Amino acid sequence: MHYPFWDVGIGYGILMAAVAVPHVFVSHFAIGGGLYLIVAEHAARRAGDDRHLAYLERLSRFFVLVTLVFGALTGVGIWFIIGLLNPAATEALIHTFVWGWAIEWTFFIVEILAAALYYYGWRHMAPRDHMVLGWIYFAAAWLSLFVINGILTFMLTPGKWLRTGSFWDGFFNPTFWPSLVFRTGVCVMLAGLFSLLIASREEPADFRARLLRRNSAWGITGLAIMAPSFFWYWRAILGQVPSTAVQGMTTPVYWIHLSYWLAAVIAAALILFGLLLARRLHVAVAAILMALGLAWFGAFEWFRESVRKPFIISGYMYGNALEVAREPIYRKNAYLRFISCPSGDEAADLFRHACRSCHTVNGYKALKPAFDGTDTAFIAAIVKSTDLLRGSMPPFWGSAQEADLIAAHIRDRVDTRHLSEIYGLHGSELGKKVYDVRCGGCHRIGGATDKTGSLAGLADADYEGLLDMASELGEGMPAFTGDAAERAALIQYFKTLKHGGAE
Amino acid sequence: MNLPDYQVLPAPLWLITSLHLLTLALHFIAMNFVVGGLVLVLAYRAQDRWCNPVILRFVRLFPIVMAATVTFGVAPLLFLQLVYGRFIYAASIVSAWFWLAVVGVVIASYYALYAASFSNRLSARKVCLAVALIGAVYVSLAYSSVFSMMERPELVKQLYAEDQSGLVWNPRFKDYLLRWLHMMAGALTIGGFFASSVAVGNPASPDPGRRFFLWGMVLGFLTGLAYLFSLGEVIGPFMRSPAIWVLAPGLVLSLLSVWFYHRRNLVIAGGALSLSMLAMVFSRHSVRLLQLEGHFDPSAVPVRPQWTVFALFLVCFLVALILGSYMLRVFFRRAESRQT
Repeated sequence: MHYPFWDVGIGYGILMAAVAVPHVFVSHFAIGGGLYLIVAEHAARRAGDDRHLAYLERLSRFFVLVTLVFGALTGVGIWFIIGLLNPAATEALIHTFVWGWAIEWTFFIVEILAAALYYYGWRHMAPRDHMVLGWIYFAAAWLSLFVINGILTFMLTPGKWLRTGSFWDGFFNPTFWPSLVFRTGVCVMLAGLFSLLIASREEPADFRARLLRRNSAWGITGLAIMAPSFFWYWRAILGQVPSTAVQGMTTPVYWIHLSYWLAAVIAAALILFGLLLARRLHVAVAAILMALGLAWFGAFEWFRESVRKPFIISGYMYGNALEVAREPIYRKNAYLRFISCPSGDEAADLFRHACRSCHTVNGYKALKPAFDGTDTAFIAAIVKSTDLLRGSMPPFWGSAQEADLIAAHIRDRVDTRHLSEIYGLHGSELGKKVYDVRCGGCHRIGGATDKTGSLAGLADADYEGLLDMASELGEGMPAFTGDAAERAALIQYFKTLKHGGAE
Repeated sequence: MNLPDYQVLPAPLWLITSLHLLTLALHFIAMNFVVGGLVLVLAYRAQDRWCNPVILRFVRLFPIVMAATVTFGVAPLLFLQLVYGRFIYAASIVSAWFWLAVVGVVIASYYALYAASFSNRLSARKVCLAVALIGAVYVSLAYSSVFSMMERPELVKQLYAEDQSGLVWNPRFKDYLLRWLHMMAGALTIGGFFASSVAVGNPASPDPGRRFFLWGMVLGFLTGLAYLFSLGEVIGPFMRSPAIWVLAPGLVLSLLSVWFYHRRNLVIAGGALSLSMLAMVFSRHSVRLLQLEGHFDPSAVPVRPQWTVFALFLVCFLVALILGSYMLRVFFRRAESRQT
């Protein structure tokens, strides 16, 4: 809370993804592409294939323009954006890993110089010297992945660092090695996809088909490395989180499943169009394959980000920059006195620091649909027990008055009409909506905390009793504060529930 | 569980500050090559511009030197954030959109430099270079705005209280406009110096750098002096601080660089110019410390050194230098042998 909060209309997750996903795509290609170029150059020189060498020279121009400019600068862009979106976490990372970044910087110097000289040296350097430059480039690029992988995986699984504070414990954390192998596989796959796209425009057809088969083999090899290493990576993550937390990981698991399907589609397309029907592969197919690769990698990165929730650095700092170690301080003194750059609107400041890192009112991860038709007391109750909501939100350590301020701030920005008016619903349909809004945040039907079993088949009086004493039924449960119509509709809906979760 | 405290420095302050200043000076030299060089190329007589081999060489060198500018720019910002993170993050959030736009603008400028170096169409080349220069001017202004703002924590708070959207530009122009002009004048000097250095290898061509070097130096002195006197309440403490013993030799070194430049001893002139740049960077750093006095004392931050990692960094840096010189030697050896 010692930083101002950038109150931008766009969701932080979208902003982060807009900068990070293109960067990781290009930066992994920058590593795999370097390996591809040098291996292919060896093969072409051994075979005395001038046409292939000319193609590689053209590819290296594309490679330099994409990686040295876009790749390098979007990397700086990630650094800029994390400093804006979560300066406290950036500060913690820099203080812990500054020498790691400094080491990466030395690799970066070598990488940039080697790439530039490799490209400009095609025509006049001795083949052996030229290939040595290529190998130096690849080694430096992969080593920069080695370093940044340590910092990225640290954020997810800091391991022993939480106890020792040692650089090496944080760097070589429990997911370091599986992630490194996995990302190396990604580099190889992306090299195949990028070069496939460039090769799909080559002439004549024989030469193109030969290149396409070779490039598809790179893509398939990358996928073959990724599949087992991802399994290893996922097992390592599961080893670091409690089994109860895994049950709440609906979002990460969704992204995992999506990435499985995308990987399968990419593999099938590479085999079909790249290996078997290489002569018929159209540039559009190669472009679609690359887009699929981007989608797949985006899904993986989304998974990696979401599995870390509610933390930005697991076990150490929450996504909204709350430091775990400061819990007693906040519980004693509440939040407001620690907000170093107040805007003059306390409710807005509290909302920004407690909620806005992830939520907007109307846009990304909108709060409006969750709170339309509710009341301040209900919103305040939810604010106070955020960490109980499916386990992917940070706790609220502020005071009850601060929770009320946040609730009032949200309430002023949502639809204050009754749910029946907003949605035009009545009877059990309205009751289902009331359930979704007031209960479903925690007790999603079919989810880990589904209460259908204990709700089904009760008498009206029991339902009335449950609603009367809702706030006493469990930690963080809000009182039922809906109006009489909503109450009656909810009971009507309860009566439609059956044991086992079916309605 | 007692969680680790990150509010510590992983090396002594003097070491971090030295690395910050050294890498910042390197960044400025490369950046001045690009900015000064762009002005020089665009201001050169239109009818002779593309006949002068020095100009052509410059246009081909721009993308490479831009890469060096970016690379050398990463390290000083890293070290700055390490020590003064609390202030630079806050200031950059107030100007978030302008700060973030720097990345997009640099990408556009960088591609424009590549386009200019690849293009055979002279008009397109000129447009590309102009685009790159406009981008460079924007970036330098945005940086000056934010880095000046970070030294006024109360201003940051006031501006943030008025507007939280990240669309605030530092309104205290007097804090940074003269300094920015001083930097631009320095860019002309360095650009001119490098043009003269390239011209040494092309004795038949007129040296396009001389005028820029000398005028840049004169303007640099004038704007630097004006900036110094615009410091207000800080000027007294600055004159009494050890920084004055660095600034004064820095000024002498600048004059010496003119002398040696005039005598065409470019190696010594370049050395003097680089050292004077380092002195200016140190002086600027001292002004920052004075501005932040009362708000922050970096020497009060606890130090918990990570010596083994630092040693590894030094080894890697050494290896990078060896590899870099090896690669350049291999690259130019072949070029030279081909020319002979």
